[in-house]
Amino acid sequence: MSKYAMVIDMDRCVACHACEVACRSHYDVPVPYYRNWVHDLRPEGVYPDIKKVSYVGLCNHCDDAPCVKACPTGATYERKDGVVVVDKDLCIGCGLCIEACPYGARYINPVIEKVDKCDFCIDRVEQGVEPACVATCIASARIFGDMDDPDSKVSQLIANGAQPNVSEKVNVGPNIYYLDSHGNFPVVQAAFPPKLPHMPTPQKMWTKVLRPLFWLAIGGTFLGQLVAFSTQLFKGESDIKE
Amino acid sequence: MGQRISKLNDDIALDHDLLKGPRHLTFDEKRILANRVMKKHGVGGVTLHWVNAISWFLLIFTGTALLSASYLQFAPDWYINMMDGIFGTRSAMLHFHIAVGVFWVTTLLLYGIFGYKNYLLDFIKHDLTIDKDDINWFPAKAKNLAGKLSHYQMPAQGTYNAGQKAYAVVVAFSTVTLVITGPIMAFHIGSTTIIQWAMMLHFVATMSVFAGVFVHVYMAALFPEERPAFFSMITGKVNELYAYLHHYKWWKEIKNEEHMFFAEELKKDGIHLPELEQCKNIKDHQAHVYNIEEK
Repeated sequence: MSKYAMVIDMDRCVACHACEVACRSHYDVPVPYYRNWVHDLRPEGVYPDIKKVSYVGLCNHCDDAPCVKACPTGATYERKDGVVVVDKDLCIGCGLCIEACPYGARYINPVIEKVDKCDFCIDRVEQGVEPACVATCIASARIFGDMDDPDSKVSQLIANGAQPNVSEKVNVGPNIYYLDSHGNFPVVQAAFPPKLPHMPTPQKMWTKVLRPLFWLAIGGTFLGQLVAFSTQLFKGESDIKE
Repeated sequence: MGQRISKLNDDIALDHDLLKGPRHLTFDEKRILANRVMKKHGVGGVTLHWVNAISWFLLIFTGTALLSASYLQFAPDWYINMMDGIFGTRSAMLHFHIAVGVFWVTTLLLYGIFGYKNYLLDFIKHDLTIDKDDINWFPAKAKNLAGKLSHYQMPAQGTYNAGQKAYAVVVAFSTVTLVITGPIMAFHIGSTTIIQWAMMLHFVATMSVFAGVFVHVYMAALFPEERPAFFSMITGKVNELYAYLHHYKWWKEIKNEEHMFFAEELKKDGIHLPELEQCKNIKDHQAHVYNIEEK
């Protein structure tokens, strides 16, 4: 079995946004949404010690994905190869997964009114073609491959110190790794830290208060009629008396 | 006057006596009432009830299987897997749920729009309007179930008793909620915040009805005393003994109308019944019947 992952080599990225464009054109992603993005941070420091960093991001295909847990219908699920995908037929566009995602990798596509996000171009990968962003990258800054294969380039890069974007608070097992030798990754992490998964008020109310109450009510009425019916079986029936 | 007409006159005389107020019946009176039937539901009402019941059945069974997220989950895992297996894919189950929902809403709208006079207003008048007798019914019913109060001592009830009305109120509010929240989710109407609230209200409405359905089904289908109510949802008819004991106010209303109808029809045939002679309209008839009580 394979387990797909991607390494972003920050040392090689020139922030040309070609990956973003390739993805947008391949999947008709409407502006201003992204399945895959390059966020350019403002230059930092004073000349000549200037640093300009870009955050290259996409869905992290987390092992313990909060979006999968948040999806009410199971439209978002994790494939056996670790790729987190959305069954658009089953999605009702409730946006709970968007609130849960620590990386802001999901959006509601206003055209189809359902959620959309990076799926590692799984249709291409299954045909043996690299994802669109990887294929188009002019500097080979994106490396896609199988983590279960120890000889793959991603396995070697991860072994050589590529790191995922996690914090002490939020670590849900992301599978996008960043390679960096110029101290740029901490800048990205400071600017785009993973968010804690968030559950909206109505769902909290349902889970914490309403669902237990309804369980009690349903259990109560069910038991009530069960007792009444058992008594009736025991005593036998009599039609209208008086 | 022929024998049959004389029998009708006796029947009407009994009605007039019983119209004075609920009282203990003699065995012979019970026998007479048990052999008479009254129309309780029209074909439209019976059809609506069963379309509603079947739709709810299908919607509850697919709806609970659609909620697989652990924090929303209602049904056990094996049930969800079984339903996935029956439908092949969960998206097929979602589409089925939406299709049944659309059918259900369409039926309700047809009744609400074309039958607003016969069904909607009738439902509001008979099922949702609550009076003092309804409030007094609950403690009385508790005593009655404990065997301490007989039926003719209970507060007189209309077409539906207070318990049925209370459930009808829950069902009515839930139905309106479901008719609004269902399409919001199915057709992605509004922002994600609206869909999230719609989802919660959809569950609340469904579970409110679901919590009462055991009592509804038990009382109607299994509880011996109310069983005529169950058969009335098939035949549309109930026997008058049941109507007299359980729904006195409704029985009275129907009797008054029935007597007026008799009076008019008999007049066409040139027959005059002493018991109906003084009644020219329904108010007149009621005055005639209830004056007997005052004298």
